[in-house]
Amino acid sequence: MTTHSLASLHHQYSFLKRLSNSESIHLPPSSLFLHPSPSSSSSSSSTTTTTSSTTTTFSLSPTTSSSTPTTTNPISFDNLKHHLSTQNFFQADEETRRLLIVLAGEAAQKRRYVFFSEVQFISEADLKAIDELWKQYSNNKFGYSVQKRLWQKANKDFTKFFIKVGWMKKLDTEIEQYNYRAFPNEFTWELNDETPEGHLPLTNALRGTQLLNSILSHPAFEGEEDEKEAEVKGSLRDNGPKPLTSLFPKPDYSF
Amino acid sequence: MASLVSSPFTLPASKADQLSSLSQKHFFLHSFLPKKINNLPNSKSSLKVKCAAVGNGLFTQTTPEVRRIVPENKNNLPTVKIVYVVLEAQYQSSLSSAVQSLNQNSNFASFEVVGYLVEELRDENTYKTFCKDLEDANIFIGSLIFVEELALKVKTAVEKERDRLDAVLVFPSMPEVMRLNKLGSFSMSQLGQSKSPFFQLFKRKKQGAGFADSMLKLVRTLPKVLKYLPSDKAQDARLYILSLQFWLGGSPDNLQNFLKMISSSYVPALKGTKVDYSDPVLFLDSGIWHPLAPCMYDDVKEYLNWYGTRRDVNEKLRGPDAPVIGLVLQRSHIVTGDESHYVAVIMELEAKGAKVIPIFAGGLDFSGPVERFLIDPVTKKPMVNSVVSLTGFALVGGPARQDHPRAVEALMKLDVPYIVALPLVFQTTEEWLNSTLGLHPIQVALQVALPELDGGMEPIVFAGRDPRTGKSHALHKRVEQLCTRAIKWAELKRKSKTEKKLAITVFSFPPDKGNVGTAAYLNVFASIYSVLKDLQKDGYNVEGLPETAEALIEDVIHDKEAQFNSPNLNVAYKMSVREYQNLTPYAPALEENWGKPPGNLNSDGENLLVYGKQYGNVFIGVQPTFGYEGDPMRLLFSKSASPHHGFAAYYSFVEKIFEADAVLHFGTHGSLEFMPGKQVGMSDVCYPDSLIGNIPNVYYYAANNPSEATIAKRRSYANTISYLTPPAENAGLYKGLKQLSELISSYQSLKDSGRGQQIVSSIISTARQCNLDKDVELPEEGEEISAKERDLVVGKVYSKIMEIESRLLPCGLHVIGEPPSAMEAVATLVNIAALDRPEDGISSLPSILAETVGRNIEDVYRGSDKGILKDVELLRQITEASRGAISAFVQKTTNKNGQVVDVADKLSSILGFGINEPWIQYLSNTKFYRADREKLRVLFEFLGECLKLVVADNELGSLKQALEGKYVEPGPGGDPIRNPKVLPTGKNIHALDPQAIPTTAAMQSAKVVVDRLVERQKVDNGGKYPETVALVLWGTDNIKTYGESLAQVLWMIGVRPVADTFGRVNRVEPVSLEELGRPRIDVVVNCSGVFRDLFINQMNLLDRAVKMVAELDEPWITGCTKRLIRLSFKMRTC
Repeated sequence: MTTHSLASLHHQYSFLKRLSNSESIHLPPSSLFLHPSPSSSSSSSSTTTTTSSTTTTFSLSPTTSSSTPTTTNPISFDNLKHHLSTQNFFQADEETRRLLIVLAGEAAQKRRYVFFSEVQFISEADLKAIDELWKQYSNNKFGYSVQKRLWQKANKDFTKFFIKVGWMKKLDTEIEQYNYRAFPNEFTWELNDETPEGHLPLTNALRGTQLLNSILSHPAFEGEEDEKEAEVKGSLRDNGPKPLTSLFPKPDYSF
Repeated sequence: MASLVSSPFTLPASKADQLSSLSQKHFFLHSFLPKKINNLPNSKSSLKVKCAAVGNGLFTQTTPEVRRIVPENKNNLPTVKIVYVVLEAQYQSSLSSAVQSLNQNSNFASFEVVGYLVEELRDENTYKTFCKDLEDANIFIGSLIFVEELALKVKTAVEKERDRLDAVLVFPSMPEVMRLNKLGSFSMSQLGQSKSPFFQLFKRKKQGAGFADSMLKLVRTLPKVLKYLPSDKAQDARLYILSLQFWLGGSPDNLQNFLKMISSSYVPALKGTKVDYSDPVLFLDSGIWHPLAPCMYDDVKEYLNWYGTRRDVNEKLRGPDAPVIGLVLQRSHIVTGDESHYVAVIMELEAKGAKVIPIFAGGLDFSGPVERFLIDPVTKKPMVNSVVSLTGFALVGGPARQDHPRAVEALMKLDVPYIVALPLVFQTTEEWLNSTLGLHPIQVALQVALPELDGGMEPIVFAGRDPRTGKSHALHKRVEQLCTRAIKWAELKRKSKTEKKLAITVFSFPPDKGNVGTAAYLNVFASIYSVLKDLQKDGYNVEGLPETAEALIEDVIHDKEAQFNSPNLNVAYKMSVREYQNLTPYAPALEENWGKPPGNLNSDGENLLVYGKQYGNVFIGVQPTFGYEGDPMRLLFSKSASPHHGFAAYYSFVEKIFEADAVLHFGTHGSLEFMPGKQVGMSDVCYPDSLIGNIPNVYYYAANNPSEATIAKRRSYANTISYLTPPAENAGLYKGLKQLSELISSYQSLKDSGRGQQIVSSIISTARQCNLDKDVELPEEGEEISAKERDLVVGKVYSKIMEIESRLLPCGLHVIGEPPSAMEAVATLVNIAALDRPEDGISSLPSILAETVGRNIEDVYRGSDKGILKDVELLRQITEASRGAISAFVQKTTNKNGQVVDVADKLSSILGFGINEPWIQYLSNTKFYRADREKLRVLFEFLGECLKLVVADNELGSLKQALEGKYVEPGPGGDPIRNPKVLPTGKNIHALDPQAIPTTAAMQSAKVVVDRLVERQKVDNGGKYPETVALVLWGTDNIKTYGESLAQVLWMIGVRPVADTFGRVNRVEPVSLEELGRPRIDVVVNCSGVFRDLFINQMNLLDRAVKMVAELDEPWITGCTKRLIRLSFKMRTC
């Protein structure tokens, strides 16, 4: 919810450094490629883009030229898959945000964030692919579709939803109230029993909730889980054992 | 038992404790008291000084340390240390990121930087750190320093180091600070004195918004000229202008180049190093900005053309039928990239189906851009349906000198609802959430009180501040609330009158005690009837409206004297508990206090009941009780209380079932705005905000109560439309008092006869019967009194009863749409005429009359106070003559029905023929026949204007404007007698610029009052000066009098307020004892909560005044052994 720019730059640097020192994040290109949407292009290297998108302030006025390097590499979900499979949820989260920006088109890349109305141009397949990866490597605990179910359960009330997925923290005041968590330290970057369902991937509320609204309302997640179904499933999940993860994503791409 | 506990009339013990305990309030308020108590310099004497100070207490100070960057400097590069002071926190992130990339990528220097927000320098410790930082700094940068007291602090600190510093750059600020500028040979030390056109500019437009704008113009043109001038001097000047361009460009890239340019040119260690920097990237000074647009536009048609081609939004949004919302943005937020909160609002509005026109300006004057971009140049019609300013600042002048008349003029042209929302500036999100007071007092003064003078509404905090980067971020629920409300206001402009739905809400006044449908000074049902009749004529659907106001009462409450708990009220709607819970998301929070719904209030045990009745598209509803016994104000200060389910159900019904387009709260005052929550700057969990929800709120409010109207404005987002309090009449005398007055008049004629003593005895005993002995010292009965003393005793009693006689009492109840008749206005006019208005060159009628008989009116007042019979009698004659002259005047300007007929025409015909002047005619039959005709003419011209305003009728007109989504002209609230600007009523009431008081005029009259008071006390005290005087500072009182009682406090302790060049009072200086002519007098101030909240800076002023006086070395007044000057808070809300 709160994101990169809410974090102190200084702070984040060291955090990233620690992360990148502890493990390799450079990967051989893998075979899973998706067709890039015509308007989108991806950045040269995921790591640099990630860093730059977290350390620079947000878009200047459109009259300034952006410094983001753009090349014509096709969109790859390999990095995401890798981070997820190594349970490196922090990098996976960064990568997801980067992917979303890339998928939203060139303008979003220049701007370095997605405007809510651009989400409609992201293909169902791409969003689903991201979601499937998250679900796959989190015992179905993470992912947009998981969040959508929780959001619907909260009657699409974002405050309730944010509290549910642990993006807001309770304040120690007489009146019950919540504040946004600070990125990245106050979020949970590992998967265990305490990690709230739907905690990841993060979508920031720096610019309000319309972006997340658009993602969760995207046709990719339509009919995924009807409200009533969700309730049933939710209760099942609470009581029963967690379903096993399927090792491979469903090969159900519409194109 | 259980039912007893949750019943409204018996409170559980624990709750009652919490609610009624005043001590709790004290505790809470004292936590607001400053830590400064401890910081006080341990002065030599046993002075006890305890004062309020600003910015401490509940508010954690922001710390400049988050803005400090110390480089690692691995390569041993020369270090450049930069210290900056800015008003706008948004420069923090941009500068930080510029410095960080410089340190990362540059190979010529390593940059250390620390920044201060100008308001932080109020804090002593922060100021010390600031001075220390300056000691080894190379470069100082300042921007937008417009608060005199802080400007002086900056000046003192920088001046010391100015010669040593390599460069000093000050961008638009007060001249004192601008003069610090130093860039090689370029300096502005001549600012305001030199003849060069460059400096003339500053001289001419020395202050305020115009100044900043001319500065911008200069920035645009000057570098081009200077480029071609070879000399070093021009080079330095050129670099200054370039610096300004970089600074106003604001982006990290621009700031990086700026720092490269300045440090390589002026830091000695870097001399000779070749550093490349790019030219500033310039942005428009003002224009239209949209995050998706390829560029900024300076033409609204071009912008709309682009809007029409957007692929990402649907036809409906692009089409002509979408509501259009204008946004006013601060340019610096956009260029520095600190614009997430702006983007949030734009997204939210577009997602809700509204088209946006976001305009920005770099100067401090937004009135030009508003007119240029939001009004169609051809049709002169607004291009938008409502406007939201996200800057938080007044439209013209920002933090510097505001020009409210100009702002109002622009907004009148625009003529749409004008909302001013604000981002947190001096608090982080968490500090604001944690604070029970809410918004930081400085921000309240700057960004809530000032925009109100422009007619700005709805001070919604829509953005928070991250503690680590200082960047603004959206508060998602607040943004949603703001945007929905802005669209709702816009809908009022778009909907037809027939389809518009209005919910009129009535209360009982005083809350919970009065009959249903009452309000202060107002005949509520007669007024509603008159409003509805008018709306009906205007095209609103008011189907089934009964024939008379009485029938309306019968319909709605079935009983004229119905109390709220009466079973007779008409039930308009029964809401099932399930429906209630669905419609009221905050309902669970009420259960802690009220148990499960439906509860006992507004309930039949199964359903929640909404009382009222619907006529066509108008619903007249009865606001539920606030649920606790006693004063509703206490809810305001209670942290754990909440409205009850019935109360919540009422507003859920109005918003979601009746689907009101606007709610009209009818009269002063209900309990909505007093519900628990922050004082100013509501959060998601503040009840007034949750209750009013998304409904535009229009509130008829008594003109004489601006301070509580302010509560309604700030906490329930009301557009407060003033109504006239009923015409006042002189109280007159009756019963014993009347008898007393007759006795005195017989004493006057018979005192020298033998009956004098006898009459005095009856005067004394009658006075005792009337309890006058409490006010006037009377000799024991039967005591022998000398003839001379007799006169004195009678004089004192006489002066007392004259005082009682001329007291003003409201006469009857006001009915909206029925202005007072001219004759009813006489008493008001007499009182208006009784005040000298030296600022307008108008003498008061009493002083003109006193002059006629060779007396000074002040002496007459003084004599009358002392009980000198002759003076008391003269004063009576003066009063009588005043009334007579004014009645004569009013009679001439009215028609047979007692209504004023065109004062102006009548006046000129009167004034054309001097002989006919009615007041002269009247006075010619009194002892004042020689009164100064010219002075009288000036006075009566003024009274004529006042009369016109008193009887003008704008109350209905303004309501209709509000309901049609138009702008309602703002105006001060207060006492029409002292400030006829309050008239005509029907204005959106505001308080006043909290920093403008006390005014010079207020100071003048305070001096008179204090001197009179002290003299009288001295007389009563056997010739000794009083040591201590107790005084209450009320909010309304100080608003009405422009700070007279505040000035009284200052004059008693012997200090004088000093206004800065912008007319803001934020300094005091001691008055010497010689000038004062008496010892300083201690003051115990009892301060109302509203005063504290409205005049936080003035509280600070008192603090400084007291300390200043306490530290004076004045040996000869040790008559007071110990000075105790204390401000204690007492919670009152007037």
